[in-house]
Amino acid sequence: MDTSTRAFVFAEPAPAGSDRRWGALRRAARARLAPFGAAVLLAAIVVALAAPLLSPYDPLAQDLGNVLARPGRVHWLGTDNVGRDVLSRVIWGTRVSLVAGFVSVAIAAAAGGVLGMLAGYAGGRADGVVMRLMDAVLSLPPLVLALALGAVLGAGLTGVLLALGVVYTPAFARLMRGQVLSVKTRDYVEAARALGASGWWIARRHVLPNAATPIVVQASLSVAFAILAEASLSFLGLGIQPPAASWGSMINAGRGYLQQAPWIVFGPGAALFVTVVGLNFVGDAIRDGLDPRLRG
Amino acid sequence: MAEVVLRRLLATVPVLLLVTAGVFALLHLTPGDPVDAMMAESADASTKESLRRELGLDRPIAVQYAAWMGRLLRGDLGRSIRNGEPVLENVSRRIRPSLQLALLAMAIALTIAFPVAIASAVRHNTGVDRLGTTFALFGICMPNFLLALLLIFVFGVTLRWLPISGYLDPLEEGWSGLRSLILPAVTLGLALAAVITRTLRSSLLEVLAEDYVRTARAKGLSEWVVIRGHVLKNALIPVVTVLGLQLGTLIGGAVITEYVFALPGVGRLVVDAVFARDYPLVQGVILLIALGFIVSNLLVDLLYGYIDPRIRLR
Amino acid sequence: MVTRRDFVKSCAVASGAAVVGLRPGAAAAADGPKKGGTLRVGFYIEAATMDPHLSGSKVDRQVYHNIYEPLVTLDTRLGIKPGLAESWSQPDPKTLVFKLRRGVKFHDGTDFNAEAAKFNFDRMKTEPKSIRKGEVANIDTVEVVDAATLKVNLKKADASLLATLTDRAGMMISPKVVQERGVELGRNARGAGTGPFEFVEWVKDDHLLIKRNESYWNKQGGPYLERVRYRPIPDDTVKLQSLQGGEIDVIDYVQPRDVAAVKTDKNVTVVDVPSLADFAYQLNHGRPPFNVKPLRQAVAYAIDLDQIVKGVWLNVGYPANGPIPPTSWAYDKAIPPIKRDLAKVKARLAEGGKPGGFEFTMTTNNIPLSVQEAEVIQAQLREAGITMKIRLVDASTLISDGNAKNFEMISFQWSGRPDPDGNVYQFFKTTPGTSFNWSGISHPQLDALLDRSREVSAQAERKKIFSEVTKILQDELPMIFIVHPIEPKAFSQRVQGYEAIPDGMMRFKDVWLK
Repeated sequence: MDTSTRAFVFAEPAPAGSDRRWGALRRAARARLAPFGAAVLLAAIVVALAAPLLSPYDPLAQDLGNVLARPGRVHWLGTDNVGRDVLSRVIWGTRVSLVAGFVSVAIAAAAGGVLGMLAGYAGGRADGVVMRLMDAVLSLPPLVLALALGAVLGAGLTGVLLALGVVYTPAFARLMRGQVLSVKTRDYVEAARALGASGWWIARRHVLPNAATPIVVQASLSVAFAILAEASLSFLGLGIQPPAASWGSMINAGRGYLQQAPWIVFGPGAALFVTVVGLNFVGDAIRDGLDPRLRG
Repeated sequence: MAEVVLRRLLATVPVLLLVTAGVFALLHLTPGDPVDAMMAESADASTKESLRRELGLDRPIAVQYAAWMGRLLRGDLGRSIRNGEPVLENVSRRIRPSLQLALLAMAIALTIAFPVAIASAVRHNTGVDRLGTTFALFGICMPNFLLALLLIFVFGVTLRWLPISGYLDPLEEGWSGLRSLILPAVTLGLALAAVITRTLRSSLLEVLAEDYVRTARAKGLSEWVVIRGHVLKNALIPVVTVLGLQLGTLIGGAVITEYVFALPGVGRLVVDAVFARDYPLVQGVILLIALGFIVSNLLVDLLYGYIDPRIRLR
Repeated sequence: MVTRRDFVKSCAVASGAAVVGLRPGAAAAADGPKKGGTLRVGFYIEAATMDPHLSGSKVDRQVYHNIYEPLVTLDTRLGIKPGLAESWSQPDPKTLVFKLRRGVKFHDGTDFNAEAAKFNFDRMKTEPKSIRKGEVANIDTVEVVDAATLKVNLKKADASLLATLTDRAGMMISPKVVQERGVELGRNARGAGTGPFEFVEWVKDDHLLIKRNESYWNKQGGPYLERVRYRPIPDDTVKLQSLQGGEIDVIDYVQPRDVAAVKTDKNVTVVDVPSLADFAYQLNHGRPPFNVKPLRQAVAYAIDLDQIVKGVWLNVGYPANGPIPPTSWAYDKAIPPIKRDLAKVKARLAEGGKPGGFEFTMTTNNIPLSVQEAEVIQAQLREAGITMKIRLVDASTLISDGNAKNFEMISFQWSGRPDPDGNVYQFFKTTPGTSFNWSGISHPQLDALLDRSREVSAQAERKKIFSEVTKILQDELPMIFIVHPIEPKAFSQRVQGYEAIPDGMMRFKDVWLK
């Protein structure tokens, strides 16, 4: 499937009920990779924060006399079609990607969480309406939806964050609603209710702590895909506005020069790939680490 | 059974309403209108106004939506503003490449995913397994526009084995048509293969751990027979789900692949229509895509019930 | 032994010479024109309609110039030469009399005559959906004097009308086809034109086919080709590769970034066709900051046109001194394009009350070349102390923002018209309401000059007027002119006989395949 489209769909749930022997071994194998993932994430954060220090050139500085230069001593990743240093732009692009990833998922988790709680608690009509709304959002190919939203919200990072936030909301809404429903029927909750506890109190005391775990798991898995999604939108021309550097828009700009200067595409491409892989490892590790709690 | 299907279909109506209303609102909120776009080289305001009036674009949004709804209930999806042809005709012209791409991609995906997933599951936690899971992971993490460009670079630019873009219909042009679809199908197929591999592998692992499998093994049946006879069928269930969900998204959602490889498919149609503010076309196509998605979900659920009697639809 | 033919590439157009392709039999060569073959052409988008009166798209025109014919047509130097009209005269400034060619038939067999011509003009003016109305607005009435003589009465003198009639506004459609087919004409133009080729079929999103008109009235030269097949190929890279791979024979445009590479490809011939277009940025005179003239001039002096043409357009174009392209007889090479001068920028900034610089937003189209140009301009302005933000929008939004005057500085790319009036009048004349005068400029002296340019018919005098206009434009700056692009067209080696006319239209009458 269109991976970038798939990036909009939440990661599939962990297989439940593994055999103990297999499970433990699996976790061990994963554990070896988790440090790698953590290292990548750490590196990305450091690069993003220290971009002004690490970047050898000004990412916006054009040099029309030195366009499409091959990677070499002076420019480690070469220059692009207006002579800007590709490496510097890749470094600065890290900021955009991380912000896009974390913020859009945060928006989705917040919005989805609220909606899910509403649906789960209110039940009946409200539940129906909210869930229909979520279904409506889910019934469209995610990229198409993001494009339409982006066209209305206008190009730019804010538009992308909101668009992605909308696209990921249903996953969190469903999760939260499920949590609320399962908690609502627990004995101790019914007891508390009988004793006159307000819905609000129950939510805070019981629902949120229980829901926190799956939400965190879902969020950690989603961040990697959100980064992919932002890159896809920037690739299509929405999202980050020039001349700011975003990996997706760099790849798009480099498309026409694939034959003459492939480094314009593959420099940011490699960065994107490594970051997403690393984040995926981290997400998997978090999920596996919290696995037993999931089943609880 | 029929009652269940009917009930499910009815339940989708409000969803479809929401979708179309939402898209309608979004489109009309976007600046720019189709008449300006069509008559870009002319500033003749009076002609533009009369064209707008004729298309009903000067009426309030709610009225326009109601009119569209009315036509829809009569089975008329309207006409594209740009080329004046019925929306259905526009879509059916584009469905073929999308469908061919989707089917080819699925074929490639299944051909890769099955052996890899089976090998991984059977040789669990060996080098083979690690290779398989790594492949799956990379496939999921690879942005598909990057994969597309990589393939183009290797096979199109450097080796020059395959055409790197454009579309020729395999049903008409045979081999050249197939060649034009190979790279995009591989792009989509590899990513799909990764997803299927993951799902199939974990599902196989589960089944392999089940008691009846251990029993079959204990009985001395060869590994292959065990797999074929018992394991595969049961492990297929989640895979069917995944496939069913992907088909809907493959057709309408392979926007990026169609964009990079310049294929005249449905995904691209939506994008082009949005950019041209071709309201009726966007509305119609989105509706059809959503409908297709919902129907394929329903089919998957039914198939589910058929495969595993334990999960019959209630 | 087949000799290689080379097309003559463009000479410096400023000297007035236009691009000349090899005309059949012009150079000493072993083979002459052969009949037969299908020419496969790739265009960037699908055509919209086959009815010239209702057409608003540039791609449509490419097909029209092969199946329809206008009353008058262009030569390689943008001079007006006879088309379906053999000759014309102007007994007084408000009257045009055309002597029509005899013996010309439409593809459906009916005669072309003054009645048919009058029918066409009437339709352009009265048909509700006619997009030609604005172009023929100055025509008052059209009279049939006799079967071969047409008298056109104008509301006021209009020296630019003849040039307008070389394109869609002058194209003749068979009245019988119009009456019988009505709206279907948009999709099916069988029998409708008089041109060297006739319409066969149109399968949308796939191809459009025209074939040789065996009973074409002009017995000199072609048509030689059996058929011409147009394919819409929206993606530039695909289009180019199709050509290089031999899947098509002609493409209408090569991106600047590909030109150098394609010119080294031995299978392909590139013809640089200097166009009529002018690409510029409109400045909104109605709101800050550009309601202040010195600030407009500051931006103009901060921009380095040479660097843009060299770095972004890769010299596939000429720096612009105004809206009139070098291909036009009205081009005044004595007026240089505005040169970058940072000292002058400082002076203008001070004059405009912003000695420390100022900030504004530029709205431009979200396509790679426009984005690149915007980035370069942004860097140039930054050096001069002016901060420019870039706002990318899609084409629809661009047009709508322009029409609504919702911008500070906005990209404007005009494909150009053969008469300088077509690049000038509607953009700079005071016009209330919606128009292409996006800047909102209202300059009485300019208005007077523009009107005068239409009243006067002598070319030399009009040229002087346009020079005056250009000077005022460089001072008032309703637009900052950037470049007059060259439209490189590329052909496979098999294609012979192509003659490039600066309006960019590809006429295949005398083209043949080796």
